[in-house]
Amino acid sequence: MTTPILEIRNLHARIEEREILKGVNLTIPAGQVHAIMGRNGSGKSTLSYVLAGKEDYEITEGEILLNGENILEMDPAERAVAGIFLAFQYPIEIPGVATMTFLKAAMNAQRKARGESELSTPDFMRAVKEAGAQLNIDSDMLKRPLNVGFSGGEKKRAEILQMALLKPALCVLDETDSGLDIDALQVVSKGVNALRDANRSMLVITHYQRLLNHIVPDVVHVFSDGRIVESGDKDLALQLEAKGYADFDATAA
Amino acid sequence: MRQTMPVRLGAAEDTLIAQLKSVGADATAERITVAGLPTRRVESYHYTDLKTLLRAIPPLAQAANEASAPALRVPGAYQLMIANGVIQSASTAPAGVIVGKAAGGVLTTRDDVLVHLNGAFAKESLTLTLESSVDPVIQIDRRSEGEAAHVADSLKVFVADGASAVILETFSGSNAAHVGNHATYMALGKNAVVTHITVDLSPRAAAHFASNEYHIGEGAKLRTLVIHAGAGLSRTQLFPRYEGAGAHGDITGLNLVVDGQHADITMDASHAVPHTSSQPLFKSVARGRGKAVVQGKLVVARDAQKTDAKFMHQGLMLSDEAEILSKPELEIYADDVVCGHGSTCGKLDEDSMFYLTSRGIPKEQAETMLVRGFIEELVDPIEDEALAEALHGIVDGWLLGK
Repeated sequence: MTTPILEIRNLHARIEEREILKGVNLTIPAGQVHAIMGRNGSGKSTLSYVLAGKEDYEITEGEILLNGENILEMDPAERAVAGIFLAFQYPIEIPGVATMTFLKAAMNAQRKARGESELSTPDFMRAVKEAGAQLNIDSDMLKRPLNVGFSGGEKKRAEILQMALLKPALCVLDETDSGLDIDALQVVSKGVNALRDANRSMLVITHYQRLLNHIVPDVVHVFSDGRIVESGDKDLALQLEAKGYADFDATAA
Repeated sequence: MRQTMPVRLGAAEDTLIAQLKSVGADATAERITVAGLPTRRVESYHYTDLKTLLRAIPPLAQAANEASAPALRVPGAYQLMIANGVIQSASTAPAGVIVGKAAGGVLTTRDDVLVHLNGAFAKESLTLTLESSVDPVIQIDRRSEGEAAHVADSLKVFVADGASAVILETFSGSNAAHVGNHATYMALGKNAVVTHITVDLSPRAAAHFASNEYHIGEGAKLRTLVIHAGAGLSRTQLFPRYEGAGAHGDITGLNLVVDGQHADITMDASHAVPHTSSQPLFKSVARGRGKAVVQGKLVVARDAQKTDAKFMHQGLMLSDEAEILSKPELEIYADDVVCGHGSTCGKLDEDSMFYLTSRGIPKEQAETMLVRGFIEELVDPIEDEALAEALHGIVDGWLLGK
């Protein structure tokens, strides 16, 4: 069997004294899209931050393998170079840094770390223009400071644009549907679906089934109290939507 | 009668007194003899105790034989040079500019030691009369060359009604423990629009002092940008005076300090007539045990109704040992004004750092991007592209030099 893109084994993580992840096991083979559903506070977002390497969390047990390689010792930048991309639920506003400047810095930093040459300006512009067109992102938006004054939809589209340009092996989408109206949701989902690829995996974190009508997952996991308590196909999401999370809490207990 | 306790004078003060007497400035010599250099007990020098910080004064500057390479070159700029206080002959002035000289200093007398010293030591002043709008950036390249020298120089600029100009002053020189005392007097006529940028790029061994006095006429708009990015000890004093209705000042400045450096921007602004406005905005970035000071005083005269003035200082600490000191002062005698002040100070935002690094940008580069972003608000309004690029170069040089 080929190495899965992501393999999480018995992952425990805490912030200060509070344990949030309590033994997560998850394997995502190449090319698959997995969804994690769970109510607020179940630890879904923590899982996304821990994958991306946010420093606030302490990993007390377990491991995370990306393409078979343990990434726990890597800092966020090294993980990005290794192929992890986190689309933030709340993208951070960075005043004074033009979006274009940031995109170029990120692309070139990753290329440099992989020993590739820097992109020429025309090549960079072409790549951004092509990827931007699909997401209705024009050059005016790219001249503005990163995420500053962007609408909810613009912020999420900018996240997907970064994903398209950085071509990660694993995309983690944290509540990408939050703050989006139906039209924006369609544009964003279309952008995400365009990135589905046999060599790329995705982990879609959401608490509404709605998003999964647009980004159809191969596997759905139910997250409760810091671990996965149930896994199934996409119908599991519909079941959850109808019945709520209560049944699964019982399973967990 | 109150008994005045004699002040114990240090080596720097002894040298200053001798130098003042040698140029016949007996009154100023007497002041120093009685009061010494200002200490922290003098309110306007509270954070910049010159008696402690200024230990030695080098000999008075002699005319320089040679000049080092320019510290900052802006393509297309019209350049004038003052080296060791001596005005150098210049190339043909662009249209609208009349270049001249005047004897002595230029600043209005006020109760300030640096102003007094400049008045005593500046032998001649470069005068610029801008009769109409001037296209190229006017750069005054002020140098301290040769062996360590005590340099005083002076510039006076008149901007005619309706004229506009961008004036850049750069301060640099040979690598020696110079003490520079620079003065600029600028008068803006009705509806004149001026951008005045002063950049200290002196060597670390040097002390840099500058006092800039502005008279802003009716409807005139002034933008200033002070950048401290050189001397070990620097202080720039800004004295804008809003003298006609509609006069406006965007008075901005930036302290960039590393370990062992002390930089101070002190503004004392006077809103003298009704309907004037100002937006002073200062930023400080400190590394190591660097120390940055910003003092901002807004004085609103009794009949200066409808004054609209807001002072802001934002500090960014890049180390635990850095010090950023902020002192806003409001002195308001009118009763129908909108005046305010604010100060913030913090470290680089962790969420922003995580966001940038999560995209593969290494930590150090992410820091640089965030600091540059923090400063950008000051450089962004500079419209001349070559000049803005040169200023970005200074900021980047500082960031990468650490």
